[in-house]
Amino acid sequence: MQDQQQTSQQSSAGSAPLPVGPSPGFLSGYQSVRTGFNELLTPDGRVRPLWDRFIPMIERLQKGEFERRWRHSQRLIRENGITYSPYGDPDANARPWELDALPLLIHETEWREVSAAIVQRAELLQLVLSDLYGPQRLLKEAVIPPAVLYAHPGFQLAYHGLKPDSALPLHYYAADLARAPDGKWWVLADRSEAPSGIGFALENRIVISRMLPEIYRKCNVRRLAPFFIAFEETLQELAGLHSGVTRAVILSRGPQQECYFEDAYLARYLGHTLVEGADLAFRDGRVYLKTLDGLLPIDVILRRPNSEDCDPLEFSADSSAGVAGLLQAVRSGSVALTNPLGSGLVESPIFMAFMPRLCRFFLQQDLAMPGIATWWCGEPNSLEYVVSRLDRLTITEAYRHRGQKMQPEQDIAQVPPHKLEALIRSDPNRFVAQERLASSVAPLWKGNQLVSARLEVRAFSVAHRSSFKVMEGGLTRTTTTDSAVKSDSCAPFGRGCKDTWIVGDQPVEYVSLLTQSESAIELRRVGSDLPSRVADNIFWLGRQIERADAAARLLRTFILQATSETPESRQARLAPLLRALASQGQIDPGYALENMKGGLPDIESAMPQLIFDEHQPSSLRSVLEELSRVASVVRDRLSVDSWRTLVRIDQRFRSMQVASNSLDMTDVLNFVNGLIIDLAAMEGFVMESMTRSHVFRFLDFGRRLERAHQMTALLRSCFVGKHAVTGYLLEAVLEIADSVMTYRSRYLLNLQLAAVLDLLITDETNPRSIAFQLVTLRQHAESLPRHHKEVTLAKHEKLILSMVHSVRMLEIQHFCEPHGSDDQHQLESLLAGLERKLPALSHELANRYLVHTSSTRTWAPKPVLP
Amino acid sequence: MQYRITHTTKYTYSEPVPVFENKLHLAPRTTACQHCSSYRLMVMPDPLRIDSHADYFGNRVEYFSILNALRTLSVTSTSTVEVFEPSAPVDVDDSPPWEELRQGLLKPPNDAWRDACMFSFASDFVPISTSLAEFAKPSFTPGRPILAAAADLTRRINEQFHYNSRATDISTPVDVVLSQKAGVCQDFAHLQIACLRSLGLAARYVSGYLRTIPPPGKEKLVGADASHAWLSVFAGNAVWVDFDPTNNVLPTQDHVTVAYGRDYGDVCPIQGVFVGGGSHTMSVSVDVSTL
Repeated sequence: MQDQQQTSQQSSAGSAPLPVGPSPGFLSGYQSVRTGFNELLTPDGRVRPLWDRFIPMIERLQKGEFERRWRHSQRLIRENGITYSPYGDPDANARPWELDALPLLIHETEWREVSAAIVQRAELLQLVLSDLYGPQRLLKEAVIPPAVLYAHPGFQLAYHGLKPDSALPLHYYAADLARAPDGKWWVLADRSEAPSGIGFALENRIVISRMLPEIYRKCNVRRLAPFFIAFEETLQELAGLHSGVTRAVILSRGPQQECYFEDAYLARYLGHTLVEGADLAFRDGRVYLKTLDGLLPIDVILRRPNSEDCDPLEFSADSSAGVAGLLQAVRSGSVALTNPLGSGLVESPIFMAFMPRLCRFFLQQDLAMPGIATWWCGEPNSLEYVVSRLDRLTITEAYRHRGQKMQPEQDIAQVPPHKLEALIRSDPNRFVAQERLASSVAPLWKGNQLVSARLEVRAFSVAHRSSFKVMEGGLTRTTTTDSAVKSDSCAPFGRGCKDTWIVGDQPVEYVSLLTQSESAIELRRVGSDLPSRVADNIFWLGRQIERADAAARLLRTFILQATSETPESRQARLAPLLRALASQGQIDPGYALENMKGGLPDIESAMPQLIFDEHQPSSLRSVLEELSRVASVVRDRLSVDSWRTLVRIDQRFRSMQVASNSLDMTDVLNFVNGLIIDLAAMEGFVMESMTRSHVFRFLDFGRRLERAHQMTALLRSCFVGKHAVTGYLLEAVLEIADSVMTYRSRYLLNLQLAAVLDLLITDETNPRSIAFQLVTLRQHAESLPRHHKEVTLAKHEKLILSMVHSVRMLEIQHFCEPHGSDDQHQLESLLAGLERKLPALSHELANRYLVHTSSTRTWAPKPVLP
Repeated sequence: MQYRITHTTKYTYSEPVPVFENKLHLAPRTTACQHCSSYRLMVMPDPLRIDSHADYFGNRVEYFSILNALRTLSVTSTSTVEVFEPSAPVDVDDSPPWEELRQGLLKPPNDAWRDACMFSFASDFVPISTSLAEFAKPSFTPGRPILAAAADLTRRINEQFHYNSRATDISTPVDVVLSQKAGVCQDFAHLQIACLRSLGLAARYVSGYLRTIPPPGKEKLVGADASHAWLSVFAGNAVWVDFDPTNNVLPTQDHVTVAYGRDYGDVCPIQGVFVGGGSHTMSVSVDVSTL
């Protein structure tokens, strides 16, 4: 009953072995593998006409210039932090995006044909989805066997009949393509759930066009921007179906997922709010965004998680990627999703086996581009055919869908051939067999030489004005091992990619990406809403910046003191600083206790290692890792410069960590000096580049709160207790507090406790003083949203005011005398009060403005019988 | 037989719950065997709005949300259902051989068969396996009428398995039920459905109520009844016949159907999602009284 499958081998007669020899210049030494279509060279070893312009221009670059530019670009990639590994996991191999220096060139005439085939396929899949979630003519008229749908774990009954008739079931579709040895393109897989890759494609383009600007211009490369404009228009149109004022959000799976970079990137590029499930609320039939200003209705959700992860009430209870009630909102038509729920059904390999037939049924046409030959073992004839050719076919799960681990496939790959037949026969419905395709090859730039790699191209399309628009470009993925490129729904794990240039003979109308996207400016009304979760992270980012700064400054002063040649007893000088380090959590508290020191190694020899101590809650390593983590989850809210600074801090620390065995105090000192400057740069970007929005307020709130806290702890460690207050100590504290210059300009070299305390506690003009922090906190608190009905001060405001009051009431003059016990007591109680109230303030703020995302739970009683 | 059914579920939480989302399958459907003449849902606290629609199988699904922090929730449904007297008892021997059904489901000849097809595949709570088929095999001798074979399987499950409400919970898989030979009505229904589907036959899960008859001389206790589950077997051309493995009966007038689906997951009487709330306790009371 199944169709005769057209295979790529049937038409592969034209692939003669390549007599590839050394050719002069750039290509010299390039050895292409001998099977498969060669993108660059003709069978007799000459450069294809398509590359006629490109290769000579590369060759005209001065010797070493190409390599130099490439290194520069790679730095750009690193600094932009393009990765597809989980964020915030310091142990994971942070894999930067492996972009190749050489793009893949495809002629626009050829791409036009490819595009037409993609449009046909997208429209066909749309019809298939509409039918399966609607009248199911395909089953009634026996076009496909019932098992294709009913045995499909991805066929959720809740999606059936979900769509109003006018709405399309598929807006955004991608196909993975490869070229057979005869040069014809084949579809390897359909991606209809939530295809990823357009953000990577765009970033690839930006990097390569900057690396080869003159070549890029002269090659008449088609632009990507029109695709994004169409994408945005489609989102707006969907929103328009629902209400006048539109708000679109990008629903991400969160920073733990591989594609978070792309989610954040798209959010920034398209100007929409990046949200996670916890940011959404379902109220009275609508979906809302939880923000500091309250709930704001959402019209369109650009969906990145799988459909089944979007509503824990309807599907998997342990899914928090969406919000309970989402399906009801969709049902009532108050929100549109793109892609709509359930769109992923048709991307399972089983549909590949039926595509020719589906195409004839719906469109009365043949497929414009064949899909790779696929046999579903649920059909008896196919089963026998497959079993007889197991050595030449790849067996995969018929119903596999996106995000499903590759586990089953790996299992299948590991099944020894003689057991494979039994496995398939035990449940034939579960398996499909696919032809193996030797995809085309192209050169890859690998450290001064060219190696050949196999290619697969992901082509993207978006529903636009009653048809589909195909991106003039794509994501070309490469593998240098000779096995077939395995594609997964997300980024190519551990594999490289290339920019994809669709080149024409005519110059392309000059439109820079920037102006193109600016022209869609009226589409960007949203994007300023601050979800409470983001505010929470921003607040913690502020705290972490300040925590890192405090740690670095204290560490610097400690090292300087520990290595100085002054005659005074080292012990006495270092003791208060050790107490401060211990109270910050940088070192084991034992170092600060006289009677415990014996059991610990000498601090001086231990120090370079201590900063890498992951068990200390605030070792430099812990603080910087937490800083990276918090920053990465709010990446879309940070400027590119701020982000680069953060990446630089991270990289410098990691490279020092690599050499940690041979470090001495001077190395640490150098690092810490650099860190302080980088953090100051961060703060500068914040102060000078951030608009005074809630984002700024929460960031600064975090910073100020942390700074007050750090200063309190420092003063307590150094001046509370029966320790002698020496000039060295006063100077050290001033140095840590970055207030030496101010002090000298006022008092010259006359170091006195009262004057130091005045400068660091009560002086409201000193940006390092506790009073300054408290006054700033008070200003921020006044600007935060509040309930209209509230007439009295909120708890957090009262806390701030009581702290301001206690600081202002401090009788600093008493400290002019050699400090008596009363004054000690006054200082001690002030600092103790602050140490109690500052965390309380943080807690109050969180209670009032920031979400506590406790996990959702489900319940369902089981029926019991009398 | 005319019934008045009251089904109350109460939840108590140790801490306030800010958000509740709920989905219910509590309204008895009207079928060829019964007519539901009234249905009312009462939720405390008042959710202000209850949405409802028919699901894929035509069961009524209801949704409601409760937003304000609360510590108790009660959901009460009240319905009046008339269960018709069957014109004649089911003659299990007067049905096609089971192999005929298996064959027909592979290539469904018409809509009725195709609709039944959906109930012949594995689903979330119902696996398909050779061990389940093996277990069923003694009842399914060659050429045996489908209903006679199903009735025999029902009897064997009833005889070989112990009713024990502590033996399983909602997530206990069927193969564990098969190996430990114990469970509750839901487990037995799933088990028998899984056996039938493992043979390539179609069977669906039925959720409903059972009237209990008190021991002689005792008053019937209000609220002592419970929700119940059994299964329905496809016997060709839109004929579905119910079997209750827990009681080894072919349900007639003591069983009231609420909803049917592929398995429990499709027709869960009351399910919900909440945030926070600490620990919770739940109590269910069902009363099925004759009118």
